[in-house]
Amino acid sequence: MERRLQQIFFALSLLALALIVAAAWQANTPSWKTYQHKFYELEAQGEPNAVAKAAVLATPPEIHQQLLTGLQRVDRCTTCHLGVEDPTMKDAPEPFRYHAGLGPHVPARFGCTICHGGQGLATDEESAHGKVDFWPNPLLTKDYIRASCGRCHKEGDVPGVPELTEGRRLFETQGCPGCHKLNGVGGSIGPDLTGEGANHRSPDWLERHFLAPNVVSTGSAMPNFHFSKDQARALTYYMLSLTSEDMGTYYSSVRLIPGPEFGRQLFVEKNCITCHNIGGVGSKTGTDLQGVAQKHSIEWLDEQLVNPELVYPGSSMPAYDLEANARKALVAFLSSATADDAQAIISRRPRPLTPEDVAIEAGKQDFARFGCVGCHGTELQGGVANPNAQGGEVPSLLHLSDDYTKDEVLAIIRNGRVPPMDNPNGAAPPLYMPAWKKVLSDEDINRIADYLWSKQQQKKDSW
Amino acid sequence: MNLIREIWQSIVRRDRLSTDKGKSELVFLNVWLHIHPAKVKREHMKFSHTFYLGFITFFLFLILLTTGIALMCYYRPYPPQAYQDMKDLEFVVYMGSFLRAMHRWAAHGMVVCVFLHMCRVFYTGSYKKPRQFNWVVGVVLLLLTLGLSFTGYLLPWDQLAYWAITVGTNIGSYAPLVGGQLRELLLGGHTVGEAALLRFYVLHVAVLPSLLILLTIVHLWRVRKDGGLSRPVWKLKESKLETLVTIGAPAETAALQAQPAVTSKTYGLMEVVTGKPIFETVTPEEEEDTVFSYPYAFVREALALMATVTAIMTISLLFRAPLEELANPAKTPNPAKAPWYFLGLQELVSHSALLGGVVAPALMVVALLAIPYFDRNPSRQLTQRKWALGLFTLFVVVNLVLIVVGTFFRGPGWALVPPWVHVVGGAE
Repeated sequence: MERRLQQIFFALSLLALALIVAAAWQANTPSWKTYQHKFYELEAQGEPNAVAKAAVLATPPEIHQQLLTGLQRVDRCTTCHLGVEDPTMKDAPEPFRYHAGLGPHVPARFGCTICHGGQGLATDEESAHGKVDFWPNPLLTKDYIRASCGRCHKEGDVPGVPELTEGRRLFETQGCPGCHKLNGVGGSIGPDLTGEGANHRSPDWLERHFLAPNVVSTGSAMPNFHFSKDQARALTYYMLSLTSEDMGTYYSSVRLIPGPEFGRQLFVEKNCITCHNIGGVGSKTGTDLQGVAQKHSIEWLDEQLVNPELVYPGSSMPAYDLEANARKALVAFLSSATADDAQAIISRRPRPLTPEDVAIEAGKQDFARFGCVGCHGTELQGGVANPNAQGGEVPSLLHLSDDYTKDEVLAIIRNGRVPPMDNPNGAAPPLYMPAWKKVLSDEDINRIADYLWSKQQQKKDSW
Repeated sequence: MNLIREIWQSIVRRDRLSTDKGKSELVFLNVWLHIHPAKVKREHMKFSHTFYLGFITFFLFLILLTTGIALMCYYRPYPPQAYQDMKDLEFVVYMGSFLRAMHRWAAHGMVVCVFLHMCRVFYTGSYKKPRQFNWVVGVVLLLLTLGLSFTGYLLPWDQLAYWAITVGTNIGSYAPLVGGQLRELLLGGHTVGEAALLRFYVLHVAVLPSLLILLTIVHLWRVRKDGGLSRPVWKLKESKLETLVTIGAPAETAALQAQPAVTSKTYGLMEVVTGKPIFETVTPEEEEDTVFSYPYAFVREALALMATVTAIMTISLLFRAPLEELANPAKTPNPAKAPWYFLGLQELVSHSALLGGVVAPALMVVALLAIPYFDRNPSRQLTQRKWALGLFTLFVVVNLVLIVVGTFFRGPGWALVPPWVHVVGGAE
């Protein structure tokens, strides 16, 4: 018995030793080491002589990581993706291939996961690509990676990503803010979309959802907007880009990309043409701006925009409070602006408007901006399905004046209204008119009413 | 060579182990082994009587201590970093994943073993006079073990940790009057946040382990003083039963007064206190039952240690410790569950917050503590303890059933869902 026990003890000790060796072996042979070895073999092929080959092959295996404090993440992707910044690897097989077209987005500053998704901290393929349990943010497929541009470039055009611009335009014009909050603005019938991109819904889900909301999300009150496939994709891009993550100063400073398009917009907005001319077209009070970018350095122009008097003592040009990217954009626009541009800008200026026109136009803008169009339609036609409401849909607003006085309409906008039910014992209709008095000023509400009244069709006259 | 021998002798200071004197001195002269007697009865080592559960629990604690100290080198008790440190342990630290797994599985193992140990002590009647208070110490050790496991649960700062602790501390807050304040004291705020993480960390690595070590010393010392490990008394002759039960327990009226058998002899203090001469004559048949602790007891303990270590290592190699998403206070999993050993409580709470969350667990603890004083039946024989065994078995079974129901049969909204039914879209 005693001898047997000692034998078992000995056997168990050996087993413990074996287990430690197994654990050490497991720790010593991670897959990234294999990938690094393969990469150095690939790299050694390009070396001219045996000594250089040996030197490359002797590179010790180590974990590479980008510490991205501004983005609050650590990306270890380059532990395996070693050729990302090496142009000679442009035809190499994955995971070693060169990443073309990065532009200013160098891995040292941006890492990988901010655009691609995945788990930056991980060092094995499955976990790193985020296709594991409890990592809600897997790699985005090729079709959707560009949506990530919108995480930093939150406004304006993003070159090469027309989907984002279109998605943002649709969001503003189709009445989405009527039900959805975004950055604190908007209704509360639908979910808050401020951090929607961080909710990690699959792009596929989002896209199907935009095509048929209540098929994908059962019981959803969201009307079917009959979006085209392209529009659904554009909105999906926009949703994926929405994040409430704190992006750090460096990244959020490029909220707007300083392109010529944005420069032109500013040129119009700031009424530069009132004083300046381009190639003789425009006002002669200020200087001709054609070729100004060629005459002066970028730094000089920038300084001029910050503080004109410092450059030209006695200059009558006001100091515009423009942020750095806006100044860059203006300079970018000016470096290519011609007399044709000036002509176009002048000819597109709206005619002088009467105060009534202005109020009605402003009301129309409000009607779109605050999302009224989401239910009532861009042409006030209504028609969005609303089960168990009288008529089964949101009513048209084109014949309001038949049933209501203007004061009654103002009251409805202020206090909201629950639609009368078809079947009083049935479920409440999913859509209702929210109370707007806490969101809109009286001025806004009056303008909207003015706009509605300007559109009334006289049904009584028609018979 | 002489010098080497001299150095060795200066360290061990005992005769060679092949001699009985050496075997005795090994225990007498060694502060760590001194908790053992030099000789033990064979019955003390009987596996089927104790299953070595106390030893195994102690060894699991040793594993937890060593792996825990190693883990402390990589851990910062501050919200986002804490989670990142877990990821670093999983993906970057050499053998970090293995280390974390060992700590995790040993912790669960300790909760299980300490409970099984308690059951064993109850079923063998080993809490009876003179060991009543050691049972109380043991119950406190069980509570400390649960506290250690519970505080450790929060440290990874993932969804599992965050919501288990949120649910767990909410259960505590149902206590009338002080519940809310207790919870606030524990969390350092109204919700689980960075203050809570720091407090749990301090409790987990400093306060609770210190208390556990101190009480373990008391626990083991008392086992030794009360006649050593439990052994199957009912197999002994009736005549011996009485003396065995009273060993180490002075009669209630005992004064520090010698009752000299021989007036010409001088008695030492120890003999006066215990009421027995140190050189007690031992009957030959009693002597036959005993063996030297070295190697008989030591080899068995070493075997238990190795079995525990290899089991934990094997499990840790096969299964990683779980780690979910970063804790997100805005996203409640449905259902949010407490750690498994509190799921019985959560199940009770789901029926009645006050009764299930406060009254029932308080009664349970009080009942456990009171067992040795309430149970006046001196017999340790199974056949003579039907009521006690029945009641305790009921307690164990009810607890197990509640935990199993809470763990496997509760789905979204705490609705009764069998484990083989997959609930779709619970999180969406």
